[in-house]
Amino acid sequence: MTDLSHLGRVEQADVVVIGGGIGGLVAAVAAKEKNPDADVLVVERATAGWAGQANKGAGIWWYLAPEDDPDTFVKFHCDHIGHYIEDQDLLGQFGRESLATIERVDGWTHKLQRRDGEIIHKRFKPFLPWSLTGMDLDLMRVLARHAKKLGVRFIDKTSLTDLLTDGGRVAGAVGFSLLDGSPLVVQAPAAIIATGGQSYRIMGMWSCQRGDGLGMAWRAGAEMRNAEWGPFAQLAGIRGKEPLIGAEDALYNAWHEKLSPRFRGELEADVCGMTSATWYKQMMAGNGPLVTFHPENWMLANTTEDVEGGTVWDRPVAVKFWTTLISRVRAADAPGAFLEVYPAVLGELSPIKVDHHMATTVPGLYACGNACYNGSGLPGAVPASPGRMRGAGLYGATFMGIRAGESAAAQVATGAAPQADAAQAEALVREALAPLERADGVPAMDLVKAVQYAVNPVGYSIYKSEERMTEALGIVEGLKERLPQVKAADAHYLVAAHDARNMALSAELFYRTALERKESRGWFIREDYPERDDTDWLKWINAARTADGGMRIWTDDVPVADYPFQPSAAQPAAERS
Amino acid sequence: MNQVLIDDDACTGCKTCYRACFADVIRWDAEAKRPIIAYPEDCVHCNFCEISCKDEALKVVADWDLPYPPVLERGFPYTVGGPR
Repeated sequence: MTDLSHLGRVEQADVVVIGGGIGGLVAAVAAKEKNPDADVLVVERATAGWAGQANKGAGIWWYLAPEDDPDTFVKFHCDHIGHYIEDQDLLGQFGRESLATIERVDGWTHKLQRRDGEIIHKRFKPFLPWSLTGMDLDLMRVLARHAKKLGVRFIDKTSLTDLLTDGGRVAGAVGFSLLDGSPLVVQAPAAIIATGGQSYRIMGMWSCQRGDGLGMAWRAGAEMRNAEWGPFAQLAGIRGKEPLIGAEDALYNAWHEKLSPRFRGELEADVCGMTSATWYKQMMAGNGPLVTFHPENWMLANTTEDVEGGTVWDRPVAVKFWTTLISRVRAADAPGAFLEVYPAVLGELSPIKVDHHMATTVPGLYACGNACYNGSGLPGAVPASPGRMRGAGLYGATFMGIRAGESAAAQVATGAAPQADAAQAEALVREALAPLERADGVPAMDLVKAVQYAVNPVGYSIYKSEERMTEALGIVEGLKERLPQVKAADAHYLVAAHDARNMALSAELFYRTALERKESRGWFIREDYPERDDTDWLKWINAARTADGGMRIWTDDVPVADYPFQPSAAQPAAERS
Repeated sequence: MNQVLIDDDACTGCKTCYRACFADVIRWDAEAKRPIIAYPEDCVHCNFCEISCKDEALKVVADWDLPYPPVLERGFPYTVGGPR
């Protein structure tokens, strides 16, 4: 093993899991179950068991109950959500393995809610061919305790920034402590990226997703796929800025015209991209502001009890979390029946390309959860989980985490032992800490905000056109030139300096691939190409880093003829079912 | 700016709030066994520190008027947040 002790704290492991959210914890547990002798280390920027998105969501789990038919689910998904860009084989496995997977999680955590032995479940909407169940939001702490019991090791408050490689294989990772900026070098023959996706630090609750895993995978040479489907957006109250479920079903403009029936069909699985497009067109036509009318929001009434109430599932932590948050948001928003709304960008870029074993194109590197949700090909034409399939976030991270953990553990068992390169490690540590050394430069948060300005406008990233995306890409290109001057006052802001770099990369990746797709499909909506084009665009768009640091983009045909379901000749445009 | 208010008398120094904060707003004073609200500018008022405190020693006060990035491009005069 290469001696790297001169660089700071050095840890050796068989598998390093980067990120201690639900995907990372599940991957760590699955790796230990597969290979109990493997030394599994989880490195988390916050605190594992508390970190990530899972404990700040609804705690809802998507799955196929025994009465749900997997083929019906895949067909529905193709017709109404993924629009035939799915990897239907993986999606079918996702459905068929769901019940066994959540039962396995229950074996680790005992958090599934049952009545007379049966999992308590319900339908989100009567016509959707799947079921939902719920677990309480302290699930993550229970899962972390279980992982520790199995012997998984943890390092918290530490941000890993780049991967070490040996002849193209993963050999570890480098990073630094948030508490004092001291470097950490991990030597490991297998790494699992479980950092979540990219939410650009716009929506507070999801701002743990900062593209750090995406960035390190990219710089190590990993291919990306399906980056053009982000970002996700949902109507939110103008002051509370918290997404309001069902607002799109009761949307009015300033002239009291009800807009919802014009853009939203009866069979919508969930939030649709045309909502944001409609908001944009109405605002630009001078018909704003847009408001939602609560009494007509049937979904709000139908789902509030699932999330905030305690009667569907007994979940005291979730009830406390949501009642605290929502009561404050509602007090901040207009208290009447009408609420002014805007499309809140939630982010969700998840393009690390993985195969069915969650292996990336870099040997020894795996990914799971929202780091690779779109990159897996599983969801098709919709941004990362839950996308338009509520509850798919928790289950998706688990489904992928198990595969990633087992794949990494199996690789370790082969005994391959790549050696970290001392010069590479030294250079990456120096680069990671460099913003701390710059007295003069650009404050990290200035660059973070500059990326947000390039991504948040609806006309740039949701209702797209070549002209507007080119304009946004110009903003990204401009701020990229300032990245080498980024400075950080301390280790806390050093994280922001790396966020800026990874956010700029994510935005560039999104716009360059989105400019390639010259059609509208599912969540992907272009003003200049409003029709779905199954002749030319049943394709996956890939991207990879070139030797000179540029971006190479190419397409692969979706092998739709080999899949169970094919699109019919007449297909609807964009989002309409 | 969002605020995290601490009731020093109620706090028993269990460190849960420090662990609960994913945004690195809360650091820990090991000597005093009390949280330090080190980076309130990064608080996203998820309230997790508050709801996780068994002693009810923290309260998060959200600032609803924080700046928000533009929702429309090219300086179109529409802003989210701020007094309405």
